[in-house]
This record gives sequence, C-alpha cells and structure tokens, in this order.
Amino acid sequence: MLEADVEVDRREFRLSAAIGVAAGERLALFGPSGAGKTTILEAIAGLVQPRRGTVVLNGRVLTRTAAPRHQVPPWQRRVGLLRQDPALFPHLSVRQNLAYAPAPGTGREEIARIAERLGLRGTLDDLPARLSGGQAHRVALGRLLASRCDALLLDEPYAGLDAGLRRDLTELVRELVAARQVPSMLVAHELEAAQAFADRMAVLDRGEILQLASPAQVVAAPAARRVAELVGYRSFVLVPETGAGVVAGVHPDRVVAGRQPGRGVVLAGPVRSCRPSGAGWEASVEAAGTLVPVRLPDPPEPAAGEPDFVFTVLDPPCFGPDGLRVSRPEEVPT
Amino acid sequence: MSWAASPPAHVAGSALRRTVRSASGVASLAGAAVIWVALLGPVITLLAHLSWPQVSAALSVPGALDPLAVSVESGAITLGVLLVLGTPLAWTLARGSLPFPRFWEAGVLCSLLLPPLVIGLLLIFMVGPYTPIGELLGHVHLSATNTFLALVIAEVYESAPYYVLGAQAAFAAVEPAIEEQAALLGDRPSRVARRVSLPLAAPGLAMALAVAWARAMGAFGAVVIIAYHPFGIPLQIWTTLQETGLPTALPFALVLLVVALPLPLAAYIWSARARGRRRG
Repeated sequence: MLEADVEVDRREFRLSAAIGVAAGERLALFGPSGAGKTTILEAIAGLVQPRRGTVVLNGRVLTRTAAPRHQVPPWQRRVGLLRQDPALFPHLSVRQNLAYAPAPGTGREEIARIAERLGLRGTLDDLPARLSGGQAHRVALGRLLASRCDALLLDEPYAGLDAGLRRDLTELVRELVAARQVPSMLVAHELEAAQAFADRMAVLDRGEILQLASPAQVVAAPAARRVAELVGYRSFVLVPETGAGVVAGVHPDRVVAGRQPGRGVVLAGPVRSCRPSGAGWEASVEAAGTLVPVRLPDPPEPAAGEPDFVFTVLDPPCFGPDGLRVSRPEEVPT
Repeated sequence: MSWAASPPAHVAGSALRRTVRSASGVASLAGAAVIWVALLGPVITLLAHLSWPQVSAALSVPGALDPLAVSVESGAITLGVLLVLGTPLAWTLARGSLPFPRFWEAGVLCSLLLPPLVIGLLLIFMVGPYTPIGELLGHVHLSATNTFLALVIAEVYESAPYYVLGAQAAFAAVEPAIEEQAALLGDRPSRVARRVSLPLAAPGLAMALAVAWARAMGAFGAVVIIAYHPFGIPLQIWTTLQETGLPTALPFALVLLVVALPLPLAAYIWSARARGRRRG
C-alpha cells in the first residue's frame, strides 16, 4: 500500500494531492503538461522535498514533514521510477545493468529468467548503445524487477515509442504489477495511455486532483467541466430544459446521427465543415449557437426535405454555472 | 550532328553538379591535408634535421639523461597533486554545488590566462625565501626557489587549469538522469560516484590528465624563473641552445617529445574507443 499526501510549491500554483494505491493496483495520474503529475512521483521517490505532507509505503514512513520530521533518502526508499529516458548505464553490459542492484536472493539464474521473460536473452552481453528503443526500455524495466522495489512509478516512459511497442510494454507492466503485487502509478497526458494501464484514474489540473474514479467513469461522468475538457469533450451547448446557465458537454465520439430523444439530447444545425478522419468523418455542425465537432461513421447530411443535420448527443454530462456536474431532469440520480 | 548522342539537359546538369561536388571534395581534402601537414610541420622538421650519430653522441654524455629523470619525476608528482586536489574541485564546479559558481570558474580561468612567465614572477613573491610561506617552509628546512619542490610548484601552476577545466567538462557530461537512476536503485552518493559517475567521466578525465602531463613536461616560463635548478628537459634544451647552439639542442627536443607525447596519445586513443563503444 502506497499512501501519499503531499503539498509542493510550484512557480504558478501549489500542488496538493492525496492518493492511496493498494498493492497490485494501477493508478494513472492524468492531466495536461505542467499539471504537477511528475512532481507527485518525484515527491514519492524522494527526489523532491514536499513543503508539507507524508509518504508511507507498506507502513514505512518515507516522508513526514510534521514532527518528528522524517525524510528517507532516495537510495533507501526502494521505489522504482521509469522515465522516458531509460537511463541505462552506458558503460555496463545488459547483464550488468540488469544485475546492477539485485534484491537479496536474486542470483544469476533469476537474472537470466527476467531476461528471458523480457525477450532480452540474445542481448545480455551487449552494451546499451546497441539496443533498440524498445529493448532499452525492457532492460530498464528488468533492472527494476531484479532490484528490490516496493512500488513502481512510471513517468510517461513509453511516450516516444510507436503504438505497437507501447501496447506491448504497457501489457508487460500490467502483468508484472499483478504478479509482484506492488502498488504502481503511471503519469500520462494522453487519455488512451492512462486507460490502457489503469484500474483507477486521478485527473490532475494545476496541482489539484479534480476527480478520482475508474477510467470509464471519468469519461462518462466527468465531475466538472474542466475534467470533461481534459478527457476530450470539445463543445458545451446550452440545454434550455435543464435550467439557467446549464450546459451539456458534447464528446465528438459520443454522438449518433438522427433523432433519438430517449438516448440523450437532440441537436440540429447546418454542417459547416466535413473531412475524413480515420475510418470515419469529422464534421463541424452549427447547433445551439456554437460549433459542435462530431465524429461519425458516415458523412453527415440533412435528411431529405430538412435544412438541418439532426443528431443525438448520447447521455451528455451537464454542468452548472459553477462548472460542477449537475444531473439532467430525466437522469436517475445514482 | 547526332541528337541521340547528346544527353538530356537535366542529366548534363546533374553530371556537372557531381563534377563540382567531387571537385569541391578534392579541394577540401587537399586543404585539410595542407593544414594538417603545416600543423605537424615542426615535428616533421625535427625528424628531418636530426642526425642519428649526433643524437647518440649528445645522449651518451655522462649525466645527459639526468634532466629526463627530473622531468619525469616532477611530472609524475604534479599529476598526483592534480588528481588529489584538482578532481574534487572539478567535481564541485561541474555539480554547480558551490555558491556563485561563475566566480569560482573565473578564478580557474584566470590562472589559465596568466602567462607562465608572469606566474613564475608572482610565485617568487608568493613562496620566495622572504615571504611568510617561504619562512614557514624554511622552518621545515625546505625552500621553494631553485629546488625540486619549486619545480613541482611551477609545473602544478602551469598545468592545473588545463586539468581542472577538462575534468569539469568530463563530470558535467555525465547525465544526471543516470546518476538519479543509480540512487533510486539503492546506491548512496559515494557509491553512485564510484560505480557510475567516475567510470563515465573516466575517458574525459584521462584526456584532461594527459593534457596536464604534456603541459607539465613542457613547463618553461614559470620554471625558468623560480626553479632554474634542478634542470628539467625544457631548461636543458634552453641552456644547450644558448651554450652550444641549435644542432646540439635538437636531440633533447626529441627526448622531450618522446617522453611527453605517448601518454596523451594513449589516453586519446583509449578515451576515443571507450566513448565510441558507449555511443554504439
């Protein structure tokens, strides 16, 4: 169990976050660049001294700013951190990298097993300079596995790799976290990366956790308008029947053509632009006084005899004038 | 006139471009070769003007190689002093862990920019016999003028900035992310230094040390003022030149090159290979 409750002063804002991650759980910190995600990991790893707070890992106090003050140095924390730069030791072979800081009882055979598992057997005697990007990241992961590491922190490690490699490595980390039963945290600024990894997601903006929920819930029911913006809601339309100043968030992917009032809010308007996007079409429809971007399998066209394109926004989340979520009249409160 | 034989205009153009490119390639190769030969000119001249009977005659005079021993001994001690004192300074400069880092760097640069002759003059005023430091040395029956100690001091002053600046660059080139990873894997700072920082900086340190060695071996300006005795090779060359002329001085120039150059060259080759392997 990893528990962190830290405050760190940043130039523009004060980062303040309280997070608990159970053994074997995967938590994603999701938010825009500069939200303070990496700083949280660095505070847990002991690389950043928080202004106030505590970090406790499996009952071991790593940081406590209240009396009696306590700050365990990074080299005694047993917290593994992977960054985008695998930071392999360039003067050591892959084998020596893997065995840099072996946990007690990790001998040659265990190192060989880890190398086998990560598909690195043929590279054991190479220097890191000869490895491909994906191999280098696997060595960095293997080096953590061979070491004594009670928590796994991932700071967008695979952001620079191509999609297939990223998927493989993420899957590998998921399996290993399950097998080792260590708490793990991933920092991501892409929603897909966070969803691919996490059981639970914390949405962070300007040093503040706006929502902590399952990846599905964060997208289906954002707690605030800012969360909705961060997870991809691109337009907000006034919905008269829900009350003054209340807007409904429209996610371009959560839209179907046609009038289906039972499934959400029906909007209509002229199509202003339309272009192919992936396997479908991305269009901009002028509706409810604003431009609404939508993605549909077919190019949007008004039905015969009608001037406007009619579409239904599926079950949109609604936000009051204060930016917080409000329920729609027909929505059953849960 | 056969139309078929004349190539289309764009082919002719590309052939012309290729000719120009290969001509400019040849020109730049020739230019580089000329500059290279010019830089090596003194060494080539030395080899051309040496007559081997003269070399063996000059070097077989009894005591002719004593200055060599003096130079090598003082140079070795100088390297030791630089390693022990210069390395920690270079480390702290590279880490930026000192307050006002530019101030400290400027100090090192200052000693680099002082002409050796001026260093020699100022050393007399600093450690000469009638100065506080000179008197202190006198208490332990040492003197820093015209002694072996004076020679070492002069060589240290002439070579230290080269070593410190080179070593600083070597330490600064070690990526902090790699040291951070070593710490997170459980190494305390002293272990990180031993297992990661020093091995990674080693090629650069070797180069810095080699340059310092060449400087120490060839030190003349400060030496001629503060340590005229005991003779090292540079002074041997100077006095031979003055007393018996150019031809008799040349053999000692050869000795100086033979002694001063192999270590830097070996260090260069080793560090270039180590860097190449790490870069892949």
